[in-house]
Amino acid sequence: MSVVGECLVAFIFGTVVGLLVQRSRFCNTAALRDAILFKTFRNTKALLVAMMILTIGFTTFITFGDGNPMHFDVGLNQVVGLFLFGIGMVLAGACTVSTWVKTGEGNIGALWALLFTFIGMFLFSLLWSYNYWPPAPAAMTGEPNLEALQLGYSNAATLQEKYGIPAIVFGIGQTLVLLAIYRAILRKERSQSQGDVSNS
Amino acid sequence: MEFFRKTLDPVIALAIIAVLDIFMFLIIGAWTVGGGETMMTGLAAQAVLGDELERIPFWTLVFEPDAGYWKIYISLGMLFGAFVGAVLSKEFYLRFPRHLSEWVLITIGGLLMGFGIRLAFVCNVSTFFGLTPEMNLGGYLAISGIIAGAWVGSLIYKKILEA
Repeated sequence: MSVVGECLVAFIFGTVVGLLVQRSRFCNTAALRDAILFKTFRNTKALLVAMMILTIGFTTFITFGDGNPMHFDVGLNQVVGLFLFGIGMVLAGACTVSTWVKTGEGNIGALWALLFTFIGMFLFSLLWSYNYWPPAPAAMTGEPNLEALQLGYSNAATLQEKYGIPAIVFGIGQTLVLLAIYRAILRKERSQSQGDVSNS
Repeated sequence: MEFFRKTLDPVIALAIIAVLDIFMFLIIGAWTVGGGETMMTGLAAQAVLGDELERIPFWTLVFEPDAGYWKIYISLGMLFGAFVGAVLSKEFYLRFPRHLSEWVLITIGGLLMGFGIRLAFVCNVSTFFGLTPEMNLGGYLAISGIIAGAWVGSLIYKKILEA
């Protein structure tokens, strides 16, 4: 596909996502924060449903060698980076999606968060240019590199290749785990509503 | 139109997005946001610094500014889609954080998000809607990080609410 075609597809996809997220008030930050702080799971359930559909969809196509999985080495930087991100999104009250969506609704606080996300990225680029960690994509080998705190590259496709078991089998296993979490949330909500009724 | 009068069930919204994301995965790649934002940062820095930007190796070795990078347009699409949704549902109006403390929290939060995304190579979207469904090891590492971070952030947020 041409560059213009890719950008057009991405823009159409983004537009539909922006519309649906705006109309549903879905928020990834709330999916984690509300579950932790307030024991409410409106957004968490939506997140889990999406992850179940995606796991089955992606691993089905990966089984047949189709699709475009993300390809880069992973390691300690994913844990530390998302830890910082997790704190940041709760403090800012928005994640990467909701900053764009709330900005589209006229929320100046979200626009401010976006601006400082960009500044945070630029500050990181200065630090990276000093210590060159984590390794640049061109320097990645796919193999563990413990000196650089990297564990290499592994996903459903590499599992299929290594064990000779179709990727979809692993995908079904992951989906069942997500389903068990979803059902546990439903049970929790039922017990909460029964508690509310008996208290009233 | 009913769609613009009532709040949509987020489960339905996310199920539709997930199906579309599978098509994206087949055509160009799964939904992601941080990469597009990084490229926008690079383009903005290039506009301000010009050739001086080449003195920062990150912008030649990791993210060379390129306006044709498709991930930029997912973010711009989300902004446009949300704007259209807000206008048609009469929910568009300018909102400003009311207290200085909110501005400070948003500033710190934004900086941490930007720094964290680049350190991890992924954002929350890639974590939940890309890496983990692909069963990438990075997805599990990122989920453990973001849950721990959200927990710490929630404790800080709770302290501030109580204060």
